[in-house]
Amino acid sequence: MRDFWKTVFGYVLTFFLIITLNFALPRMMPGNPFVHLSGEDEEVFETASSEQVAYYNAYYGLDQPILTQYGDYLKGLLKGDLGFSYYYKTAVLDIVLRRILWTFLLAFSALILSFILGIILGSYSAWHRDSWQDRALYMLMTITSEIPPFLVGIVLLIVFAANLKLFPLSGSMKHFTTYTSMGEKVINILHHAILPVITLTFVRVGGVYLLVRNSLIGVLKQDYIRTAKAKGLREKRIQYVHALKNALLPLFTRLAMQLGTMMGGTILVENVFAYPGVGLLMRSAVNVRDYPLIQGVFLVLALTVMTANFAADHFYRKLDPRVRE
Amino acid sequence: MKKYSKQILCWMLILIMALTVACSSNNNQGKADAEKKTEKTEPVVVKLAGGDFGLSQPYTTYSRGPGTYKVKLVFDSLVAKDDKGYIPWLAENWELKEDGKQYVFTLRDDVKWADGKPFTAEDVVFTFDYGQVHPPVGSSQLLMKEGFLKEVAKTSDHEVVFNLSEPNPNFLEAIISVNIIPKHIWEGVERPDEFTDEEALIATGPFKLVDYNKEHGTYRFEAREDFWGPKPAVDVIEFVPVSDPVMALENGDIDLASIPVDSLSRFEDKEEFTMMDNLGVYGTRLRFNIANVDDFKSKEFRQAFAYAIDRQDIVDKIARGAGVPGSMGILPPAHIWYNDQVPKYDKNIEKAKELIEKSGVTPGEYELLVGEGQEVRLGELIKEQLEAVGIQVNVVTADLKSRDSRMAEGDYQLVVTGHGGWGRDADYLRTRFAGKADGWSSGTPGYENETFSKLAEEQRVETDEAKRKKIIMELQEVLAEDVPEIPLFMRTGKTVYRNTTYGGWKYEFDHHESTHNKLSYLE
Repeated sequence: MRDFWKTVFGYVLTFFLIITLNFALPRMMPGNPFVHLSGEDEEVFETASSEQVAYYNAYYGLDQPILTQYGDYLKGLLKGDLGFSYYYKTAVLDIVLRRILWTFLLAFSALILSFILGIILGSYSAWHRDSWQDRALYMLMTITSEIPPFLVGIVLLIVFAANLKLFPLSGSMKHFTTYTSMGEKVINILHHAILPVITLTFVRVGGVYLLVRNSLIGVLKQDYIRTAKAKGLREKRIQYVHALKNALLPLFTRLAMQLGTMMGGTILVENVFAYPGVGLLMRSAVNVRDYPLIQGVFLVLALTVMTANFAADHFYRKLDPRVRE
Repeated sequence: MKKYSKQILCWMLILIMALTVACSSNNNQGKADAEKKTEKTEPVVVKLAGGDFGLSQPYTTYSRGPGTYKVKLVFDSLVAKDDKGYIPWLAENWELKEDGKQYVFTLRDDVKWADGKPFTAEDVVFTFDYGQVHPPVGSSQLLMKEGFLKEVAKTSDHEVVFNLSEPNPNFLEAIISVNIIPKHIWEGVERPDEFTDEEALIATGPFKLVDYNKEHGTYRFEAREDFWGPKPAVDVIEFVPVSDPVMALENGDIDLASIPVDSLSRFEDKEEFTMMDNLGVYGTRLRFNIANVDDFKSKEFRQAFAYAIDRQDIVDKIARGAGVPGSMGILPPAHIWYNDQVPKYDKNIEKAKELIEKSGVTPGEYELLVGEGQEVRLGELIKEQLEAVGIQVNVVTADLKSRDSRMAEGDYQLVVTGHGGWGRDADYLRTRFAGKADGWSSGTPGYENETFSKLAEEQRVETDEAKRKKIIMELQEVLAEDVPEIPLFMRTGKTVYRNTTYGGWKYEFDHHESTHNKLSYLE
């Protein structure tokens, strides 16, 4: 039990560090949320005069000493208030929550798919070690895990959406139609999610594959496998019950860690497919230096990753009796 | 483990099923759409690239072009613009009195708000008074200037008088920026930027916003049958998310897009697509930090830069031919008051070297601050061209916001910046080159020319258009001689639209984007 509280304390400390960094980093970036002089994408806008910039700085409390701002930020957080977006003019929590569900949809689907595929292929490789199939798979997987996700996304977009017209080009659902049933809507959403999910799965599966393969090869050398074979057990039983079960343990920790990198990858992929997740949101928040929104997005992402780590930590103890003591 | 593998199997099955159904359902949808088309006289639905720019209400829209122009679909202003100049809109006509210090607007008497209530002078007076307390997004700096707008008063139900502290030819431009809101709805609103009820969208404009989704960045505007003005030519305007405009236009996701030069060939021989030239009023300029870098105080030295930099070469290499070199008189060729007589400064290395000699400056190494992407290449090209005359340049890149804030603080030596709005009223020559008060953001600290400042001040209060135009022509000559900055190039390029859907695209005289023009959607 004491261990448990130690862990909890560790997490609280990390969390505090994260919110402090979240507060400091956006403000350390050069640029001011209300000064914009150049237009991207051929835009025209009114250039704010220095008085207007001063007015907005005061309106949003940016003229206060930095510690006062920090105090206000912490006070707000305690009340569950993430602040008000300068650019979107809405409560940050509201925007982030609406968007993060889309990111979760992509990230979790891809995570599950890449694990299933990775386990299947990894086990195959390990059992057929040094065969030509193993070598080919090994090579392929090493390559795919090194390709940047946005590149895969663009290729899929051009081939399957633009040329073959099998999938939509962008967005997360079809707009301005009335769906006859809930099912139809769900299918439409899945249809839009397929290309981004495939993209993410494609670049993630390599990592899982390598891990499963290595871990399984290690397990197959263990004495208890030899014992099992000597006992004359059926090969399938050895493969699944004795070997794979033990080889998958390290994968479990990996799952939690992957979530963090998966979030990172999702952000890039969302930009390619104009998918309305937090990735797209984060990009625009940084571009316009919307401090409260940047803080909000990073905070929610950090929380997600931390929760996943915590859960992994916790369940790993349950799964593996050896670390229980 | 068995239990898990069963679950996994189930998941996979579900996924596969979903996949197959999704693909087949899409085909059915296509068929249904096709059937619909042949059945009845088709309403015109125009689809354009979306993105979230806020609720289309004067206080909740974002301060970016695509946002403010959407507000104009729903709301009206007293005056509007067509391709030649200002046109009557909610005001039937206007009159200048008291040497330009008073404007009298006569309002249309047949206009109704979307809720059926009549539009009157009360609403106009209310809008301007309210705006003084609560400045709307992108509010006009002129109207917000302390003491400029002395009084807005109604003289009858359909006549409003504006009293100004001094004449200003830019007043109509400022009037256009103000969207008239109904008094009976906004009267009690304390926080207009949080007012997002359905009522907040009650206006007099040709379209009503029936669907807006912040998270997806989608909008659907429907034409108002009871609109007081020209009949809407488009029934529905939809803004949808777009990943790549070229593919989206080809696939029919959208009906219009500005297409990069390299992709134009894909649309060239197809009958359903029409191309039009974009108005060249988006410009990229090279600014000197005259105030802080002594070398740039020499006019001859700046002229040497102008001769050394080959602007046509920049158009060819950076804009891939889709542009025109900037005019050294600043106002671009597409401007209604462009002076085509100013010196051209065609590339001339000998002349540049001579001028450096004459200026007495020993060129040092200067830092050239540029933004991202294309601007990096632009920076490298300029560096190369300047090296040919013995000027060393060190290119430094920053993201847009960092560059902007360094520019606003005067923390640069040379900087490249691009933005729209070069087609606007020529008064921007004054704020850019004689507007000391505006400092680094929109002015040019360190550049002073008495003749220029005097002329600029004269045109600011000159209400006789012919006289004013003459002054503007002179201003351009002064600037071309002094070279306080170098307008590198104006982007032009092509917009491609699907003519089978809609072909009525029009430009405002000073704006490069036809989809932003409300008249584009009206007959």
